[in-house]
Amino acid sequence: MSGAAVEAQGLVKTYKGRGGEVEAVKGVDLRIEPGEIFGFLGPNGAGKSTTVRMLTTLLTITRGSATVAGVDVARDPDQARRRMGVALQEAGLDPRQTGRELLVLQARLFGMGGGEAAERAGELLRLVELEDAADRLIKGYSGGMKRRLDLASALVHRPEVLFLDEPTTGLDPASRITVWEEVRRINELGTTVFLTTQYLEEADQLCGRLAIIDGGLIVREGTPESLKAELRERTGLSHDPTLDDVFLDATGRTRAKAEGAVSEVVA
Amino acid sequence: MNQTWVLGQRALREAWRTPEAILPTLFIPLFFLVVNVGQAARIFPSASTDFLNGQSYGAFQLPASLLLAASFGTAALYLVEDIEGGYFDKLRAAPVSRAALVLGRLFAEFVKGVVIAVAIIALGMVFGIEIASGPLGFVLLVLLTALWAVVFVGLLQLIALKTRNAAATNSGSLIFFPLMFLTPNFVPRELLTRPMEIAATFNPVTYLMESQRSLILDDLDWGTIWPGFAVVLVVGAIMLAANVRLINHYD
Repeated sequence: MSGAAVEAQGLVKTYKGRGGEVEAVKGVDLRIEPGEIFGFLGPNGAGKSTTVRMLTTLLTITRGSATVAGVDVARDPDQARRRMGVALQEAGLDPRQTGRELLVLQARLFGMGGGEAAERAGELLRLVELEDAADRLIKGYSGGMKRRLDLASALVHRPEVLFLDEPTTGLDPASRITVWEEVRRINELGTTVFLTTQYLEEADQLCGRLAIIDGGLIVREGTPESLKAELRERTGLSHDPTLDDVFLDATGRTRAKAEGAVSEVVA
Repeated sequence: MNQTWVLGQRALREAWRTPEAILPTLFIPLFFLVVNVGQAARIFPSASTDFLNGQSYGAFQLPASLLLAASFGTAALYLVEDIEGGYFDKLRAAPVSRAALVLGRLFAEFVKGVVIAVAIIALGMVFGIEIASGPLGFVLLVLLTALWAVVFVGLLQLIALKTRNAAATNSGSLIFFPLMFLTPNFVPRELLTRPMEIAATFNPVTYLMESQRSLILDDLDWGTIWPGFAVVLVVGAIMLAANVRLINHYD
């Protein structure tokens, strides 16, 4: 892949509401290099999912442009879809299929023949350690198993860029760590990962670089270390700031400590 | 075409795994056939009722049961489930022709329509109903029923795509009642009261019903058969165009 894995310039999304137009994303610029694990953070309603949905061709772009693996997502959505894998919030799976059937179907939609699709499904089931459950209906899977299957289905066509929208929301700590391991393994195989999350620990553990979006605009961007160092330097903090501190600072929130309890107060 | 086939196979698997959604499609039309015949058969004895062409009143009622069965398609509700569960977005994020996303389900609905129509007609034949137009008429009768199943469920898919809501989609199926009952359901059109005859004349389902009835009661009478197919083709073309347009603009 030459050039950026993901690039967005002036990305804007407006919706028509009863009280007029609502601007959910107000001009996002991003550049993600091949091989990165890039974290995209923000409070609820900040524009994370809307941005991801535009980048993954699921939402039309109101203004601005975006490329994934060098392909313009608005001009050539089909080609862009061939280069990216997508696992959205709330693992989107068909409960009436088995894990194997779902992966074979996905592979066939990406143009593989029956034999090749079955072989690829087998490889992926091994990768996400779901071989034993492969021929069971998905409706019987646990939340963690569904997430891993969703990841596998996003990888079926060996995408250059993988979009993960809150991949661990609702998972127990053990399942969360398993998903992190999968994400690292996928990245080590050369796939660029674009990850949105509400968990700052997750971003700290996984991401080489991250951006924080608030009110539809990117308010911070950099490596976790550089963002923490910038905060310490700017505010003169006596302790080493965490990513939580960076997030609260970037989104205009403060943390008030009272008698050991921690409460979040909107500034 | 390959993508439509793959998605159609998935929809058929889904139907196979939820027999509780299919069985009423078979049971309720047969129930209505038995009830309607039980209520009106003595009014229309076969020997003295010209429009029965020597057959029982059950033969006259069979099209109503076939159309009822064809109106029980589940594709639209499964589509809403896909949308609400996020699987529809998964499919949209794949390089799949947008048209294939709706055509796959419609293809499966056609196959289900064929199976159900064959089952109902076969049961009717066991109880003495004859298909007067012969083997070709039998095939046309099944085809017309299955095509209407596709058209009707395609119209409900429009509501599903527009509202993305199961309750709204379910309510949409209530359109079945005026379509089904403003027809020459119990007697031929010329025996209806004048206002009912006018309503039936404007109802496209009337022509389907008359076409099916002709295939059951008459030799191949193309003059009565073709309007039924014309209705299916015209309404079907509008339904398909609207589905493709809606899914192409789905955000």
